[in-house]
Amino acid sequence: MTGTNWVGLYTLTKREVGRFFSVYRQTVLPGLISSGLYILIFGFTLEQRIGEIDGVPYTLFILPGLIMMNTLTNASSNASSSMLQMKLLQQLPDILTAPLSSLELSLAYIIGGTVRGMVNGILVLLLGVLLIDMPVHHPLATLGFIFLVSWAFSSMGLLLGQLADSWDQLAMMQNFFLTPLSFLGGIFYSIKMLPDWAQQLSLVNPIYYMINGLRYTVLGVYDSSPLNSFLMALFMTILFTTAAILLMKSGKKIKQ
Amino acid sequence: MNVPAVHISGLHKSYEDTKALCGVDLTIKDGQFYGLLGPNGAGKTTTIHILTGLVLKNEGITEIYGKDIVKDFRFTRSQIGIAHQELPIDWFFPLEKLLYFHAGYYGITQKKAKPRVEELLERLGLKDKRTSRLRQLSGGMKRRYQLAKALVHDPKILILDEPTAGIDVELRHELWDYLRELHQNGKTILLTTHYIEEAELLCEKVGIIDKGKIIKEGSPADLTRELGKAGINVHITGWNDELKNAFSDYSYTLEDNRLHFTVRDPEEVMASIIQILSNHGCQIHSVSTEKSSLEDVFLNLTGKGIN
Repeated sequence: MTGTNWVGLYTLTKREVGRFFSVYRQTVLPGLISSGLYILIFGFTLEQRIGEIDGVPYTLFILPGLIMMNTLTNASSNASSSMLQMKLLQQLPDILTAPLSSLELSLAYIIGGTVRGMVNGILVLLLGVLLIDMPVHHPLATLGFIFLVSWAFSSMGLLLGQLADSWDQLAMMQNFFLTPLSFLGGIFYSIKMLPDWAQQLSLVNPIYYMINGLRYTVLGVYDSSPLNSFLMALFMTILFTTAAILLMKSGKKIKQ
Repeated sequence: MNVPAVHISGLHKSYEDTKALCGVDLTIKDGQFYGLLGPNGAGKTTTIHILTGLVLKNEGITEIYGKDIVKDFRFTRSQIGIAHQELPIDWFFPLEKLLYFHAGYYGITQKKAKPRVEELLERLGLKDKRTSRLRQLSGGMKRRYQLAKALVHDPKILILDEPTAGIDVELRHELWDYLRELHQNGKTILLTTHYIEEAELLCEKVGIIDKGKIIKEGSPADLTRELGKAGINVHITGWNDELKNAFSDYSYTLEDNRLHFTVRDPEEVMASIIQILSNHGCQIHSVSTEKSSLEDVFLNLTGKGIN
């Protein structure tokens, strides 16, 4: 075998995608249900007490944030949990002894996580369109941005999955970093509503840019330049993809 | 000259403060059945894992059919099928699907892999379990699955790390038959085992590894002849002083009319011993021989048991 192992790359990607679809009750439905609950609770109760933000009804305003939260948590947890699971269940030797390069291995995991991130993000997007008639101002840019963020966070997940030795470490990343940063990234508010110091603090939160960018492509409103959001997403994609592939190539944490 | 299937020279590996391999030299000819024996922690699994890319070496030459395992990893890994010691767990996919995945990792499409998968399911008695998840299989079934997985891409070299550990005697014998068949069909096999009987029965050549180095190599028969101790026991009446001279070149003991000769190969000298005894008027009541096993050789060399 010479050149790229396309069949191997396709097979491992298929396995990664098949893995999360086979347990869709754990990997697809929960995000959809919790997002539906947010829409119902905010739509039917709180929206009447909270005014519009940037001329957008409150339930619509929070939807891009919910889409983004679902996208990035699912994308990162797919690659990280799959990698750690393979390590702990002795499945990793099967792929490490196969004629697959570090790049092919990394891409398969990243694509698997990207697909899960996109499926979850797009389902919440469709829920918004169907339940509350959410307009999508720039459909192609929306899909493109969801794809880019899914790829970035799937790569981050692969990096974390390689570094982690236990489920506890992965849960810590999710609970102490990703979820707080998502909530503080402006899912439920515009950062313009915050005091100056908190606004400045929000600008160092990368997830703020992801939510801000999607809010622009979906609703046409934004707190800061959409270009910055795109550049931040691109920067994270390049950074995490490179780091995940280099770590895989080095074999640290997965080979002895 | 034929290129060896496996060539390892001066292989070193350390894990932090522990030296796992201290210059392993090993050559396995194409089509050979080779057994790597050693006590726990001797370096068997590390050697195998370096060959298959699971462990990174510190230094040394590691080649498969003359190609470097790092530079030409696609070629070298395609030549090897490995059945690991640890039994895998998979929660998501049925056994048959896992075999197709495994073939796919080696660049074989599902369509092309189908006849091979069917053949292996049939041959290894897994046909009825094709839709089962691994957790539903017994230990023996999981071992068969391991072997099917190692063979699904039809590799030239089969590496088996403790393939019969924890399985019942009947299945062990079935697997031995299958391994013999694979070997007859031209597969090069590298086996690690803690059943020395397994190595003695199956392997053409064994290497004894201890403290990260191969300390002795040879065929089981040659090793036991060279390093083992064999004996001939003869129960006689009519011992006389002339026999002392006749047996002056032999190492023997006499106690209660029972002679015990320590020899290298009983079959080589038994006839002469019997002839000398008969010529000197001794009555022979019984003759028995005893031979060292590979296990005795192993114990002598390493000073410890294999487990």
